Amino acid sequence: MSGYASGIVAILCINLIFAYAIFVTAAAGQLNLGGAGFQAIGAYAAAWLSSSAHMPANVTIPLAILASALVGFVISFPVLRTRGVYMVLATFAFGQFVSGFLLRSPTFGGAIGMVVADYIGVGALVICAVVTTLLVFFLMASRLGLAIRSIHDDELVSTIMGVNVRAVQVAMFTLGGALAGLSGALYAHHFSFVEAQYFNSLLSIYVLLFVLIGGTQTAWGPLVGSLFFTLLPELMRVGGSWRYVVFGVVIVLMMVLRPQGIVTRALVARLSPRNWWPASSRAATRVSDAG
Amino acid sequence: MSEASATASFRSLPVRPILLAIAVLVAIAVAIFAGGKVIAQQMVSGLMLGSIYMTVAVAFTLTIGVLNFLNFTIPTLFMLTGMVAWGVLSRGYLSVAGGWGWLLALLIGIAVAVVASLIVERFTFRYLKTRHGDATEHAIPLVSSLGFLLIFEHLVLIALGSEAQRFPVPFKADLYAFGLVIGLPQLASLLLALGIVATLTYVLKRTRMGRALRTIAESPDTASLLGVDVARIVPVVFILTGLLSGVAAALFTVNYGDVSPFMGEHIGTKAIAAMVLGGLGSVWGAVAGGLLVGLAETLSIHFLGGDSVQMVVWGLLLVVIILRPQGLFGASAIGKAKL
Amino acid sequence: MPVEPILSLKQVTKRFGGLTVADQVSFDVPQGSRMALIGPNGAGKTTLFNLMSGVYPLDGGSIWLEGRQIDGLPSRQRIGAGLSRSFQNIRLMPHLSVIENVMLGQHAKASGLGDLMTPILWQRAGRWRQMAIERLEAAGIDVHPDAEVSSLPYGVRKKIEVVRALMSSPSLLMLDEPAAGLNPRETAELSAFLKDVAADGVTLLVVEHDMSFVHDLCERTVVLNFGRLIYNGATRSVQDDAAVREAYLGSRRVAGDGGDRAA
Repeated sequence: MSGYASGIVAILCINLIFAYAIFVTAAAGQLNLGGAGFQAIGAYAAAWLSSSAHMPANVTIPLAILASALVGFVISFPVLRTRGVYMVLATFAFGQFVSGFLLRSPTFGGAIGMVVADYIGVGALVICAVVTTLLVFFLMASRLGLAIRSIHDDELVSTIMGVNVRAVQVAMFTLGGALAGLSGALYAHHFSFVEAQYFNSLLSIYVLLFVLIGGTQTAWGPLVGSLFFTLLPELMRVGGSWRYVVFGVVIVLMMVLRPQGIVTRALVARLSPRNWWPASSRAATRVSDAG
Repeated sequence: MSEASATASFRSLPVRPILLAIAVLVAIAVAIFAGGKVIAQQMVSGLMLGSIYMTVAVAFTLTIGVLNFLNFTIPTLFMLTGMVAWGVLSRGYLSVAGGWGWLLALLIGIAVAVVASLIVERFTFRYLKTRHGDATEHAIPLVSSLGFLLIFEHLVLIALGSEAQRFPVPFKADLYAFGLVIGLPQLASLLLALGIVATLTYVLKRTRMGRALRTIAESPDTASLLGVDVARIVPVVFILTGLLSGVAAALFTVNYGDVSPFMGEHIGTKAIAAMVLGGLGSVWGAVAGGLLVGLAETLSIHFLGGDSVQMVVWGLLLVVIILRPQGLFGASAIGKAKL
Repeated sequence: MPVEPILSLKQVTKRFGGLTVADQVSFDVPQGSRMALIGPNGAGKTTLFNLMSGVYPLDGGSIWLEGRQIDGLPSRQRIGAGLSRSFQNIRLMPHLSVIENVMLGQHAKASGLGDLMTPILWQRAGRWRQMAIERLEAAGIDVHPDAEVSSLPYGVRKKIEVVRALMSSPSLLMLDEPAAGLNPRETAELSAFLKDVAADGVTLLVVEHDMSFVHDLCERTVVLNFGRLIYNGATRSVQDDAAVREAYLGSRRVAGDGGDRAA
């Protein structure tokens, strides 16, 4: 594989895991605009354990996941007190606070950043991305996944149906933290360098865009969203800033024409093998792809 | 509110702005008394910076208060004004205006910001007829505004380059009072900003248009039932947003003399912080928050060094939004029940 | 013969600010009965449902289900205790398919992490989905299981909500205006379906404005007015009661007027 191609694959894998981190909370209706903060925690935990404590990657990565999952768990309690725009702002503030803290902290190299000792190749990244994807698909196919999606639509009715809404939301924040931490740790070990400036608000915005443009109804959404956003710029022949203008136009048009994201549940149902043939006379009512 | 009943006979007086002015004067006096001239000078520059934040924060709080919409294009509108003004001036299109070219350029910049804001309205709220009725519905205009942020910023980069530019300020006049240096344009901008906000408060409170806006803020459905033409009123919010961002950018440009395609980002995040501190949807809260953030910024640079600003401001903000989502002052918001 | 009540409300009281929306309401719902809860608009019927399902806490009194006090239980545990309900305005999940909405109703029956965390179709070889499909068919709902709920007619969605409420095998099913917005044929079908449900041993408590539906389905009726219980007795004599007549004050609802509220 050429250096160019493997670079794209590496970024795609990291973006994909990161997108799933944001997806698991968004699927339950909680928007996290502080994703970069969680990713930074994973990246810096791995970097610090690797360069200061001289641990190998197979130890630093699980510990980094643990650290960011713990932060996700703890922060979920105050953050879940807020909703809507307030939650967007609270998570945004959290992300800004983390990168501000890292910029200032001499332990973590401050504005200079940190060199990460143990290198991991693109193969390990692909394995992690595939495992994460399967895990989220598995989760969304379960009764917990059904509960997550029903919380997204209507918290009160979900509660009355017996769903422990708060527990599910806390669990998703924790899982989201863990996955963001994994993506950060992989980033640190693959690129061998971390700096606080990388984990800025723009990164949080981009990853949320991956998820919302991809669609939050099924586990296909982040997959399509991150493929679309990582590969589209590479495929576009226009260079430099025009690329971002096209990007912006695509986002605006998506929100006008298909605000529910590229992939919806109904689209998946229509494409599913079960519906390739009319199953029975019941198929009289067509599966519609309404918003 | 017990405070309201205590001052019942003075109800016609604007209590909040007066309290604010008194608090600021007392703070400066205390600063001069306790910390000497250096601190007082820092506070004065903090207030000037704060007046810019405040104007942008009011733009943010207006769209959130009335439309429940976190409009990420506001920093770009700010940047558009500065960069367009510099562009038309440096290309020599305005040589006819002679010595007033800079003013004309800034007015054109503001007009461009207003037009851009209306384009955003056309593609976000005009199409938002369908209700999804779920938890992430409010993200749709937010995501659109992020798309517009990319479009505007990169169009400016294409047309005008990525360099920071010097904007020729035609005059330099400083005022010396109590041994402090106060830039005349800075003072003018503080007063102008306060004037604009006071006018806006008046408009929201006393006019037909203001009542319509506040009804929409409470509930768009009720507003339509009451005969408010929501589709005609919503663009007004976007015009005001463009106007406030543009005016703030013009004041910034005149005061600091330079513009860049990235000038909006710093201002935008500080303005969001100011809005949160003041309480979402509260105009006077945004004013107080803006001045507070300006002060906090210059003072924390002075005491803690430049790189701690981000941590201090956002850490404070996170605590406020979680513990006091109504803001530090608990001022009444344009739209309540948006929690 | 004395029948053990399945549900008992004892002095149930709720205030919103200065307004008392439930004022010491006490009544029993006998085991296996089909009971109606009626009253003029704003009488507090839906509030009472919300109190029973735990949307709001009580300000006074107690609620008993099958001899067990449930007013202290969190809302999510009441469905497991045997109390299930529908909503006045259809509240199906818009982004879930028909079958997923119905399977959500089984949530309270799923137990343990194994049931929660493994794909639904793997569990018991797809029994959950099969059960949901059978229930839909039994209710005469003839739609594709993967269909979008928002694409379905009002009457069908209304029925799906009843089926969803039944999936937890409740002992008490509370329906909030199930016949509102249905045409006469659909109303008759619903009534027949609910009689079958009751015949299977499910007790019904129904809020309804359509009096002919109430007469057809429910043998007993309680009437609320301004948060107070003003009548508790046989449905056939409710219209002869002086207090009830006064409560409706000439604006008494007649059969079939549910149609105008459908919009």
